[in-house]
Amino acid sequence: MSTRDDTTDVRDVPTERDDQPLLKISNLHTYFRTDSEDVRAVDGVSLTVDPGETVAIVGESGSGKTVASEAITRLFKSPPGYIPEGSIEINGREITDLSDEELRRVRGGEVSHVFQNPQGALNPVYTIGWQIREALQLHADVSKSEARERAVELLTQVGIPEASSRLDDYPHEFSGGMKQRVLIAIALACEPDLLIADEPTTALDVTIQAQILELLAELQEQRDMGMLFITHDLGVVAEIADRVAVMYAGKIMEKGSVEDVFETPAHPYTRALLDCLPGRGGIGGIPGELPDPRSPPPGCRFADRCRHAIDACRTGDQPGMHRVGDAPDHTTSCVHFEPGRDSSTVLDAGSEPAGSPSPPDDLERGGRR
Amino acid sequence: MKWYVIRRVLWAAFASFIILTITFVLMDQVPNQQLMQAEFQAAVNDVDVETAVQAEKERLGLDRPFHERYLDFMTNVFQGDWGWSYEYDQPVVDVVRETVPYSLLYGVPAIVLSTVIGTAIGLYSAVNQYTKKDYAATFAAFFGISIPNFWFGIVLLVVFGSWLGWVPIGWNADIPLAADGSWTLLETAGSDHPAFFRQDFEGERYVGILSPANLKQLILPTFVLMTGAIASVMRYARAEALEYVDADFVKTAKSKGVSNRAIVTKHIFRPASIPLMTILVGRILGLVLFGSYLIEVVFGIPGIGLASFQAIIRQDTDLVAITILLPTFVAIVGNLIEDIMYAVLDPRIDYGDR
Amino acid sequence: MGEDTDTRTKADGGTAPRDVTFEQVDWDEIDADGVARSRKRVAWLAVVSLWTIGVAYDLYSRFVAETGQAAFPVLGSVSPVDWLWSFTLLVLLYYGVVPLYENPRMTRYYWKEFKKNKAAVVSALYLIVVFAIGVIGPRVLPEPEPTPGLENQPPVWGSIEAYSAGTSCAGGTTTVDGVTMCQGSWQHPFGTTSSGEDILLSSIYGMEVSMQVGLIATLMSISVAAAVGLTAAYYGGLVDEVLMRYVDIQMTFPTFFLFLLLAYTIGSSLFVLILIFGLFGWGSSARIMRSEALQRREEPYMKAAKNAGASSLWTIRRHLLPNISNSLITAATLTIPSIILAEAAIAFLGLGDPTVPSWGRLISDGRDQLRTAWWISTIPGGFLFFTILAFNFLGDALRDALDPRHGGSGE
Ligand code: SF4
Repeated sequence: MSTRDDTTDVRDVPTERDDQPLLKISNLHTYFRTDSEDVRAVDGVSLTVDPGETVAIVGESGSGKTVASEAITRLFKSPPGYIPEGSIEINGREITDLSDEELRRVRGGEVSHVFQNPQGALNPVYTIGWQIREALQLHADVSKSEARERAVELLTQVGIPEASSRLDDYPHEFSGGMKQRVLIAIALACEPDLLIADEPTTALDVTIQAQILELLAELQEQRDMGMLFITHDLGVVAEIADRVAVMYAGKIMEKGSVEDVFETPAHPYTRALLDCLPGRGGIGGIPGELPDPRSPPPGCRFADRCRHAIDACRTGDQPGMHRVGDAPDHTTSCVHFEPGRDSSTVLDAGSEPAGSPSPPDDLERGGRR
Repeated sequence: MKWYVIRRVLWAAFASFIILTITFVLMDQVPNQQLMQAEFQAAVNDVDVETAVQAEKERLGLDRPFHERYLDFMTNVFQGDWGWSYEYDQPVVDVVRETVPYSLLYGVPAIVLSTVIGTAIGLYSAVNQYTKKDYAATFAAFFGISIPNFWFGIVLLVVFGSWLGWVPIGWNADIPLAADGSWTLLETAGSDHPAFFRQDFEGERYVGILSPANLKQLILPTFVLMTGAIASVMRYARAEALEYVDADFVKTAKSKGVSNRAIVTKHIFRPASIPLMTILVGRILGLVLFGSYLIEVVFGIPGIGLASFQAIIRQDTDLVAITILLPTFVAIVGNLIEDIMYAVLDPRIDYGDR
Repeated sequence: MGEDTDTRTKADGGTAPRDVTFEQVDWDEIDADGVARSRKRVAWLAVVSLWTIGVAYDLYSRFVAETGQAAFPVLGSVSPVDWLWSFTLLVLLYYGVVPLYENPRMTRYYWKEFKKNKAAVVSALYLIVVFAIGVIGPRVLPEPEPTPGLENQPPVWGSIEAYSAGTSCAGGTTTVDGVTMCQGSWQHPFGTTSSGEDILLSSIYGMEVSMQVGLIATLMSISVAAAVGLTAAYYGGLVDEVLMRYVDIQMTFPTFFLFLLLAYTIGSSLFVLILIFGLFGWGSSARIMRSEALQRREEPYMKAAKNAGASSLWTIRRHLLPNISNSLITAATLTIPSIILAEAAIAFLGLGDPTVPSWGRLISDGRDQLRTAWWISTIPGGFLFFTILAFNFLGDALRDALDPRHGGSGE
């Protein structure tokens, strides 16, 4: 844990911590160029993550949640991807206009990622020891033996038994869950302030999923690290997150603390999502499809699938974020919550009638890319 | 692993054996030059053709049963007794020894350069997929793989040799040699050196492999041989690298903060290089062998290809057999090396079966 | 047939009887009424039978009756290459052109997809022109013959020192710097060879040779490859092992050297060359077919066919073959240029049939005249180069269009 102290010293964070979020995304857009019109994967997203806090972004495939998370350190493929507008601040520093070289230091240093599929996320031709060492040596001037020691330490922390004997093993000698642990070790190697975990458990067995979630929560606690957790699984959100943002078609539909959102889901989309959870009545997915990301319709993006849609939903822009009830930062983007309208139309409506007979995991099959 | 290597070696030996057998059977069908000669002689000298041919057959051992001759052939091949070349009037093995260096002279640089350049362009193209540069490179590669070597060589000779006069049209086989006929890297020689036959000049000029005159006459053949090879290597390298450009582990590396250059060289090239090497050794070798055969004929380089060509024209059967077998064996050994290399280099390979 | 098959099967609502489902993969008319289809089939069978009878009669009179080549009404005598050539053209017509003509909707779709690739469109046009000229030209044009006196005539725009050319000059002479120059003329637009053969005429005859060699040998090669690949994949086990080990051995021989060896030992008349190319160059295609078929073997319709008690041959031909036809087409388009190149190379080396006006032979004719008559080698070689290039572009475009799994590499 020695390095950890160093890093905290170097960055004069503690004093500013209280009034400044660790990550502040404002009005972020990320588009992908195609032969015809640009695909607007992320279309105006604002979000903050405070130190030590876990924020979850939840949404279906194609909602833009993964792109949004990768846009933070510009990991998406570019070209064709680009950020036409928006700002991303890490510890108060704007990073959208950093050069590649400067950004490189942010990646892995201040902000780390863990991805969805551990199977392919480790380079098959290098030992895991090599891959952890690479991460360490990129951001700190450590000798090979120091790095080795540190790698063993990290692997032990993420729960790899007999870590020192496994350093020279190749990725194919690890199981999926073990690989994900290694990847978490790599992500944590340089003591990041923010960990972005993009569906880190989706590709794993159910039992392993729980272990990994637990591990992440534990590590976050120990290190007081901020975490941005991307998932399509509301159950996982309830388990791990402090706050949640619901994303749909490149926009945020609702955000607030986990309690508020689960207690009083406001946006019709959130409500529909919650209804899809097992044991909540509705069994079908949400009928309808995501709007075309090349030319999204005017008004609310969810209008075509929304049972509460009214004429006002189909004009102008996406409705602004309106307060829901009295909760301090529980907001939603729905016209029914505009001041002067009756939000109970939505809030008091019963469970959605079961829609099309498609299975719930259709949620994950949407038109990706 | 050990068993895998042993199996591969045994297989290569078996394949060689089959190929030798096929070659022997096929070559046995070809009318024998010496018999025809004897027949002709007999007819001219007005002796009995039948007996003359029979005598010649006995002399050559052709009257013996098939299996004996077959055994003979096999043992001879392994003992390095490859028969007699009537065209060169010396043992085939000596012809090979004399001609192969000429083939290596331009073949080796062509292989090395085309591998390096082709891989570099392929990687670059893959990393910049869908950009104009990538399109340009892939488009150019089509020309590279489509252009017939022998015709391209001729076109270049017409342009640079005949029209511009920058390179000689005839190939001077004595330039890379010392005055006494041995190979030399670089030295000076006077006008009595065989390379300067019928040239009169004062003082000394450079001869040897690295002499300017030799390099000059090597440029075109090397270049022609390279075009096709670069294009193929490039296409393979690009396809192979593309498998990895969007791989998850590349994203992991990027998220760790690895620089773009290190991503390309360490994270994309290294895994791509393993299957790439497999392709390179086997296919590029085949390509180069095939290309060099024709190129030597076009440029008049007295290498193994030209020897084979002349042997074919003159029906110098022993020489034909060996000059065709030789590249085949090079290819077999190349394939063997490639398989073993693949096994050694790729940690993912499981040697359990096959 | 991957995607296409699936979607079209779906379009049928999956209710079509199994046989029809696979018919459409066969590129036969989907909506045609049964009568039209069977009439077409009858016509096809009749043509094939006619052809077979012709071949049988020819063989009979050559080898049994030993009266030499059979003489046919109208056709006169037919050479072995022409037999193969006519059959290849028939197959091309029946399996290529007819389905496209009968399925205008599908044709339009393919054309729309294909049109996007400019290089491939230009290539296809070029090949159609070469093919047409190659097929028609030799029927209507005189054979190129050595013409004493008209050697080394330059192309129409060029000139040559008169002492390097034949005794007469088709395009008249001029004097430049005291040297008499022989001018080119429209009589020989691309000039003549060192024996006075017209190069344009020879090149046109060469087109036929290249197309014959390329298409016939490819048809043979692909048929063998499909037969071997599918059999190996379908039966698996020992059959697979034996066939594939044989392929391994054939492929340890670098293709060109195998061709060279065979051409040298067996002989190299055009007919024999075609047989060599067709029967010994199919190794890699067979491997592709096999791996493709292995994937298909596990699919439900294969199991269904087996369970329904279909015979092996039937299952392979009616179910497995149609479903790998995309790979087949792609492999074929990429085999053609390699065979054309091999033929040219062998002719260039002087191993080919000296009476056949192959491009390779023309190139080699001019090799000693680079200084004086550069056009002899370069012009026929140009045709060769562009033909190979065009086939490569076309093959790549087809692969992109037919097989979505391969990333495109052409423009
Ligand atoms: S704004 Fe309208 S369409 Fe959108 S969620 Fe609210 S009610 Fe539905």
